[in-house]
Amino acid sequence: MQNQYKIFIFILCTVITTSIYGQKMTYTGKVVASDLNEPLIGVSISIPNTSSGTLTDFDGNFEIQAEAGQSLIFSYIGYKSVEFKLANSLSIEILLLPDNALLDEVVVIGYGTIKKSDLTGSVTKIKSEDIIKVPSSNAIQSLQGKVAGLQIMSTSGDPGANPVVRLRGVTTLNNNNPIAVIDGVISDISAISLLNSNDIESVEVLKDASASAIYGSRGAAGVIIVTTKKGKSGNNQVQFSLEQSVESASNKIGVMNGREFATYINQIEPGTYNNLDILPDVNWLDKILNDNAPITNANLSIGGGSDKANYYFGLGYFNQKGIIDKSALERLTAKMNSEYKISKFIDVGLNLSVLLSEKQNGPGVINSALWAWPINEPYLADGSTFAEVNGGNPLAAIEYSNSNSNAFRSLGNLYTNINFLNHFTFRSSLQFDMTESKSKGFSPVYFVGPLQQNEENDLSYTTSNNNTIIFENTINYSNSFGKHGISALAGYTAQDDKGEYLSGSTEGLIREGELFWYLDAGLDEFERVSNNFSRSTLISYLGRLNYTYDSRYLFTASLRRDGSSKFGPNNKYGNFPSFAVGWNISNESFFPNESIFNKVKFRASWGIIGNEKINGNAQYSLISPGVNAVFGINEAIQAGATFNGGGNPDLKWEETEQTNVGIDLGLFQDKLIIELDYYKKKTNDILVALEPIGYTGIGSFRSIFFNAANVENTGVEWNVNYRNSIGEISYQLGFLGTTIKNKVTDIGQGLGADSLLVGGDLGNGQQVARTAVGLPIGYFYGYEVIGVFQNKTEVENSPTLFGQGPGDLKYKDVNGDGKLDAKDRTIIGSSIPDFIYGFNAQIGYKEITLSADFQGQTGSEIYNGKQAIRFTTLNFEDKFNNYWNGEGSTNENPRPSLGGVNYQPSSYFIEDGSFLRLRTLTLNYSISPRLSERLKMAKANIYLRGTNLFTTTKYSGFSPEIGASSAVDGAIDRGVYPITRIFTVGLNANF
Amino acid sequence: MKKTINTVIIIAILLFASCSEDFLIQPPRAALTVGSFPASEQDALLAVNAAYNSLRTWQINTGGFPLLDIMADDAVKGSNPGDGTDIAVYDKFAQTPTEGSIERWYKTLYEAIRRTNLVINEVPKIDMETGLKDRILAEARFLRALYYSDLARGFGDVPKVMETDPPLDLQRSPVQEILNEIIYPDLEFAMVNLPERSQYAPEDMGRATKGAATGLLARMKLFYGDFQSVESLTKKIISSSEYQLVGDFNNVFTYNNEQNEESVFEISALPDWFENGGNQYGNTQGVRGTPNKGWGFCRPAYSLIDEYQKNGDPRLDPTILFLGEIIDGIKISGEGATPDTIKTNGQIVEIECYNQKVWYPGTDSRTSFGSNRKIIRYADVLLMHAEALNENGKSSEALFYLNQIRSRARGTKTDVLPDITSTNKDVLRDIILEERKYELAIEGLRFWDLIRTNKAEQVLKNSGFIKNKNELFPIPQSEIDISQGRITQNQGY
Repeated sequence: MQNQYKIFIFILCTVITTSIYGQKMTYTGKVVASDLNEPLIGVSISIPNTSSGTLTDFDGNFEIQAEAGQSLIFSYIGYKSVEFKLANSLSIEILLLPDNALLDEVVVIGYGTIKKSDLTGSVTKIKSEDIIKVPSSNAIQSLQGKVAGLQIMSTSGDPGANPVVRLRGVTTLNNNNPIAVIDGVISDISAISLLNSNDIESVEVLKDASASAIYGSRGAAGVIIVTTKKGKSGNNQVQFSLEQSVESASNKIGVMNGREFATYINQIEPGTYNNLDILPDVNWLDKILNDNAPITNANLSIGGGSDKANYYFGLGYFNQKGIIDKSALERLTAKMNSEYKISKFIDVGLNLSVLLSEKQNGPGVINSALWAWPINEPYLADGSTFAEVNGGNPLAAIEYSNSNSNAFRSLGNLYTNINFLNHFTFRSSLQFDMTESKSKGFSPVYFVGPLQQNEENDLSYTTSNNNTIIFENTINYSNSFGKHGISALAGYTAQDDKGEYLSGSTEGLIREGELFWYLDAGLDEFERVSNNFSRSTLISYLGRLNYTYDSRYLFTASLRRDGSSKFGPNNKYGNFPSFAVGWNISNESFFPNESIFNKVKFRASWGIIGNEKINGNAQYSLISPGVNAVFGINEAIQAGATFNGGGNPDLKWEETEQTNVGIDLGLFQDKLIIELDYYKKKTNDILVALEPIGYTGIGSFRSIFFNAANVENTGVEWNVNYRNSIGEISYQLGFLGTTIKNKVTDIGQGLGADSLLVGGDLGNGQQVARTAVGLPIGYFYGYEVIGVFQNKTEVENSPTLFGQGPGDLKYKDVNGDGKLDAKDRTIIGSSIPDFIYGFNAQIGYKEITLSADFQGQTGSEIYNGKQAIRFTTLNFEDKFNNYWNGEGSTNENPRPSLGGVNYQPSSYFIEDGSFLRLRTLTLNYSISPRLSERLKMAKANIYLRGTNLFTTTKYSGFSPEIGASSAVDGAIDRGVYPITRIFTVGLNANF
Repeated sequence: MKKTINTVIIIAILLFASCSEDFLIQPPRAALTVGSFPASEQDALLAVNAAYNSLRTWQINTGGFPLLDIMADDAVKGSNPGDGTDIAVYDKFAQTPTEGSIERWYKTLYEAIRRTNLVINEVPKIDMETGLKDRILAEARFLRALYYSDLARGFGDVPKVMETDPPLDLQRSPVQEILNEIIYPDLEFAMVNLPERSQYAPEDMGRATKGAATGLLARMKLFYGDFQSVESLTKKIISSSEYQLVGDFNNVFTYNNEQNEESVFEISALPDWFENGGNQYGNTQGVRGTPNKGWGFCRPAYSLIDEYQKNGDPRLDPTILFLGEIIDGIKISGEGATPDTIKTNGQIVEIECYNQKVWYPGTDSRTSFGSNRKIIRYADVLLMHAEALNENGKSSEALFYLNQIRSRARGTKTDVLPDITSTNKDVLRDIILEERKYELAIEGLRFWDLIRTNKAEQVLKNSGFIKNKNELFPIPQSEIDISQGRITQNQGY
């Protein structure tokens, strides 16, 4: 079994012959790290069955009294231990190899760590080198395609846009974001943007209940644990990386050109445009999208330490211009980790991450560019200023939009570890996550046209701060008795979240320059200010027990009890238990040694995890001021106050019950590794905002929270990796996938609330998504198109909607009652994919590596909302060029029309969202050790990378990865910032 | 060392124990909860003002769009064909229970009712000056009756809610019960306890008055055919001498003559967004395009224009805003992307034009929120009085009141709209109904007039009106679904 590790271990020893047996001798030597080619400080050296032992000094040297024939064991964290049998030579040199063997690694789990072989839960670990391999502006993007069941969607190319992250499907109707735990600090997923990929030591994704139930009320949508780097003992390690990219829109949406548009309009109103040859032809997308927008990303870090202390400092700079003017992001991040040993038993440390960002929020001009008439010129004939454009002049919109956001965020953890009674560790930590953000928007006076004008300049300004403080105390016990291994954890945490905002707006600024973008520059009569505060608190008790027998039988149980201020007096507390078992079959004596399997492990787990991601005020029926009336001969406002919606005092936790069965296989000495899991997630008492029965007077467009729905997700996920080499060519192949089956099993029954959730508001009064029992969350709902009416007879002989005639879309009479009405609307698609997959390949020859990551999904649909919204006459996407033009012309597209009956929510606007994308292709050259030595570098590499190089999809929009703002809305394309294709050249150097 | 450890453990244990349950109670900030409001005279005023606030909400007007006018022969949907397609069905009486306006209207009416119920149930408990207390209660009861009057006429039988948190198992109460137990007693209480319009301080102009309560009660009695009551109620208003017709019809709806001597009840609004005192009612119908005043819904019917022209009725110009017209110095150009004339078989059936009664000067959409919606005009009171007199066999007396309206409409043009002289009850009934059409056009009254006079089937035949169905709106489907059928649907839907 253990032979496999031999290939990772090299022991070099120089022998000086002196042979004296049976007598204590002084052996001296040096321990060197093979990866760094540097001496290691503090390596522990012991002689088995004795109390003798020592540590290496600052230069990696040691001296020990021993007898020839005895063994020395060298061990050091992060490196594979080595046993060395003493012989005649008194001088020894030991080379330790990093412990990156897959199966014996340490995995970070909630409030502790565990050996991977002892793990019972479903946890995927991604190591530093795999994260750095695909550097990106947001470290979370590096996880794309690396964890089965984890779906990371880049839904927008807007600089700084956070990707949408889903683990094992959509489990709730509210917030489906997994939580992020950064160096022990529980935070939201966006906190990962505080980190540079280079600062990350490892990322662990906790998938099943056994792993995540220890996070109790917050783990239901999954937990992503991020551990940042610590300084290593020894000389300072300096790392520098720089990359420069250029990005352009990865594809463009086809719209009608000037001639096509005029021809189409002439079909509706004959003779509108008599001379098609003199019409302008403006491609608005080309006008607003810039090619080769630059991105710069630079990082510098330095780490080091002694046996008493270690430190790590990192500094990062990121600058992205964006492919649309006035959208940009500039970001500075700093990382500081330090740890001091106060005494043999006590150490203290601080992990700190700081982010400073400045974002220019691009104007929402994508739809405007798709809708603007191609026959309108952008500028007046004399070129003096913007011309009125039907559908809005996108260039003017960019010119007159000014919106900036600044943020300062710091996230940290001040802790102490106290070891006592040999097997106990007490840890106390104070954690904080503080964000201070400001945003400002200014719009000058302008007139482009009657629908695009601003008569009075205006300014808005908002400042907000959100502070979380967590005080956490845990005690760990770990011991082994013969073949029994036990570790136990007990703890208590208290959390306090506070948020406050202050915002103001004004108009009529005395001058329009940036120097005047302050509220004081405006007219007093327009000045408005608002301010509010929210606070929620949480108290938790937690415990966990791990038991292993002979590394064969594994057992884990955990329990967390959370109390939250978000729930009323009777429902404040919730309990979240979990149980799991594991069986390392390959460690059994009966397991054949000569099998192709070198490892077989079964895992099974069950547990309950919670979700409390709702507003703390949801329990209260609030009465608010600001509900004013107007009276008086001289009309004036008189203050009023009354109900502001409603509340539900009976709210309680939402609970996800998850069952997981898995198997881990290692074949051919771990050349082939297979992990396979089946999961079933049942979320009960989902906190969902529903519209209660109307006569309760909560009001229109208003809802209150209920524990009112159940959702079930089931699926199979796998991760298969194969690595091997042929001569000097090494290669690696990976394939991972997840199937998802999502079903709502109950909504609002008997609660006096709606049993049907209507979502997917297009903003024009149409709502195209629904959530109902027996179907996936947020499925699309509308008429099913079965063709186009070809002639009058066909219309007369078919059930029709009011106003339908030849050339109109033919909708299916679903209930077959011979009438076509609202009752015939039906399910026309679902945006939840059936299958998400990714595969990657890597091939290396000497210093060169080429790697590719693919990602895809099938079985998802998109509602093309930007095409369906017609407030007025707008340009059309090019599919409308193939319009119905008389009997037999087409059965796909309707006759030309500006709106009306063919724009009813229907399957006409549903498109297939399946895709396969080459996410990244990277060519890497590692500078040979000899060269790097000459350059005084430990190691260095340069690389070329292409991102989003190609996508195969039938979807007509910028990208089939459309994030739903809420699960009940489904994936509606309302016009997104285009996804970009990026070319990057980068350099990494370690000193 | 041991000592240190012990200390730490003790500290830890203390920390476990020191957690107070108070830590887990976080009340809302900057807001109150029921039970703590209204608690004072000041609160009582705040609460009743908030009940008036509902009048300015967009959805209170038949869910945002003037559906009553669109259904009647006053107006068509208007706007661009591609905008607001969901409400196009009302032009053809093809509405279904899932159409969103109905739900918005119904829910907003009950929201407004909840606000009035907060006042009606909580203010009596407050120790405050009795006169003001009675006035506030009367204002709230007037408003509750006003909101229920829409529910009763719009939906018929509806759940009877008189508390702020009603039970969840209510069924629909017969409309007669709503009238007898809420609308009539509320208005009778309001008539007794509200001041006359002239008794309010200038800054309170626009609050509910004795006249408003009397006028609303008359309107409801008229709707349900109690002409005796209508006659005496309208007589009260007339003899109160609180109101008179504005001399020139051209000045009835102008922005600088709001809350005029003819206004019995009117919703004041400021030319600003809703939260700053505006009312989107005018914006929804406002000129679309140039000037950019609004969405352009509720386009006056071409037949209405045609009839005004045939009669030489001078009310045409102040009622309808045409393209090319210059008003308050602003030229109306409308929207280029919307066809100016729509023809069927070569005949004009619709032209781009707007409801001038909601016009408010300015070239941006914000100013269009300044138009005050008129709920009861003295002209309506006079016409109701005339109608009641005619029905009660006093036709010749009725002529006096009817001809006041025609005379004012005629103005200086002596050759049009001659005084009516017929005293034939049936003939006069039709004449009064016609007069109401032209005098009160696009004010949301015509549809109810056609229903209560049983003329809807005849007049709206071409629009697809179905008798014994379209007199009422459908109950919102969501209400039926949520109640699992306990709340039933109206006939025909």
